[in-house]
Amino acid sequence: MDNLNIGRHISGQFNEDLERVINHVMQMGGLVEKQLSDALTSVYESDEELAKRVHANDYQVNKLEVSIDDECTRIIAKRQPAAGDLRLIMAIVKTIADLERIGDEAEKIAEVTLQSLGKDHKDLLQNLDNLGRRVLETLQTTLDAFTRMDVNAAIKIHRTDAKIDREYEALMRQLMTYMMEEPRSIPQIMTVIWSARALERIGDRCQNICEYIIYFVKGKVVRHTSPEDIKKLKDSTE
Amino acid sequence: MITVSPQNIANSESKIDLANLSPEQKALDINNLNLFYGEKQALNDISMAIPKGQVTAFIGPSGCGKSTLLRCINRMNDLVDGCRIEGQINLHGQNIYEKHVDVAALRRKVGMVFQRPNPFPKSIYENVVYGLRIMGENNRRVLDEAVEKSLKAAALWNEVKDRLHESALGLSGGQQQRLVIARAIAIEPEVLLLDEPTSALDPISTLTIEELINDLKKQFTVVIVTHNMQQAARVSDQTAFMYMGDLIEYSDTNTLFTTPAKKKTEDYITGRYG
Repeated sequence: MDNLNIGRHISGQFNEDLERVINHVMQMGGLVEKQLSDALTSVYESDEELAKRVHANDYQVNKLEVSIDDECTRIIAKRQPAAGDLRLIMAIVKTIADLERIGDEAEKIAEVTLQSLGKDHKDLLQNLDNLGRRVLETLQTTLDAFTRMDVNAAIKIHRTDAKIDREYEALMRQLMTYMMEEPRSIPQIMTVIWSARALERIGDRCQNICEYIIYFVKGKVVRHTSPEDIKKLKDSTE
Repeated sequence: MITVSPQNIANSESKIDLANLSPEQKALDINNLNLFYGEKQALNDISMAIPKGQVTAFIGPSGCGKSTLLRCINRMNDLVDGCRIEGQINLHGQNIYEKHVDVAALRRKVGMVFQRPNPFPKSIYENVVYGLRIMGENNRRVLDEAVEKSLKAAALWNEVKDRLHESALGLSGGQQQRLVIARAIAIEPEVLLLDEPTSALDPISTLTIEELINDLKKQFTVVIVTHNMQQAARVSDQTAFMYMGDLIEYSDTNTLFTTPAKKKTEDYITGRYG
């Protein structure tokens, strides 16, 4: 929590409120990370039980989102946060919305297992898993950057989304070829496509969270900004 | 059909460049102002330009010099023994600290409202016309018009129009403060100084005064000192943060309350230890 600097308010209660809400965001991040990891494992190992568990646990992610939202609303009503505190609350409200959607995407990925296409398409699943592991790593580093509010890490992760996009496109080309060669497998391939799409979207959502980190630390809105301009922000901080 | 393009939204709150105001945009120009109470220096080399027709707020902890700075603007500090002032305050280009300046005339141009409502023990009507009578105005029609105009501008007319000749002391605190504002604007000053105008009022009266401040800036330049940061955020166009006699940061209110440039400002507005 290097850049968070939340412990110095004259109001000890305000410190506690902020610490509590941040801990809940960490908890939600950890849960979402586990959901994605379990979803990927369930697909790769055709573990239906694990896939069902991912499906069943999604309500916990949703519940945390609602309760953190509620905490943030209360902080705004009672404390009227300003400057860094206000930017932190705004960043949290937006981050948890993206985390909740990542949870939904993990649930979609687990669906592939439940449709039991495992054994016949091991090579496809290997490629999907490769993409999945890269996305999972991006999510982990994003959550780590959020915990420390590390703006340089956020800028670096923001740029890696392009790699995920390239890998996703390569996988899509491969899936297209498959469908053309083996039209009977189109229904199963479509499920893989949905999963790959879900992974690509998770990459985008990690990119969003990085933008909120930059907003909190720098006070600059970098949404819809070119990668070059965001990079300039990093150079100025180093 | 109303269409709003994103560009319109982005431009709806036009910013002015405080560092490069044109002479026409400036109501007050404070240059290198130093103020001493005896040996103790209370204001350190303050320089700032206050734009015309806008609300400028001074915030900062007790003893930071914000009220002292406000009082310099209509030379209230002249009344304090052992007070010495260096530097300039230009009101529309004229230095108010030059020797030949008539202080009474200056205070007609720069009105002031204090923390506690201080109506005179006279009727509502006589309170409003007090300044005009001192200026020699006795024409009944002129005075009647001034009373109605000022009380309307101070958002008090509807509440008191049927009892103008009753004692002002019978009004509530919020009404008394609006009456005092009506008295200040009856003589049509150019600048209105408000020294914590709502600190003695309940929240509803406070909101009425805040609404009033927003209307007043159409006619006057308003400078307000407030301890209530949310009030500064709500009513002002630009905010100056002062600390121990120094002007730490002066920028447009939206920027100061979301992305302040100085750490001291951030610590103060977020309620942190300095």
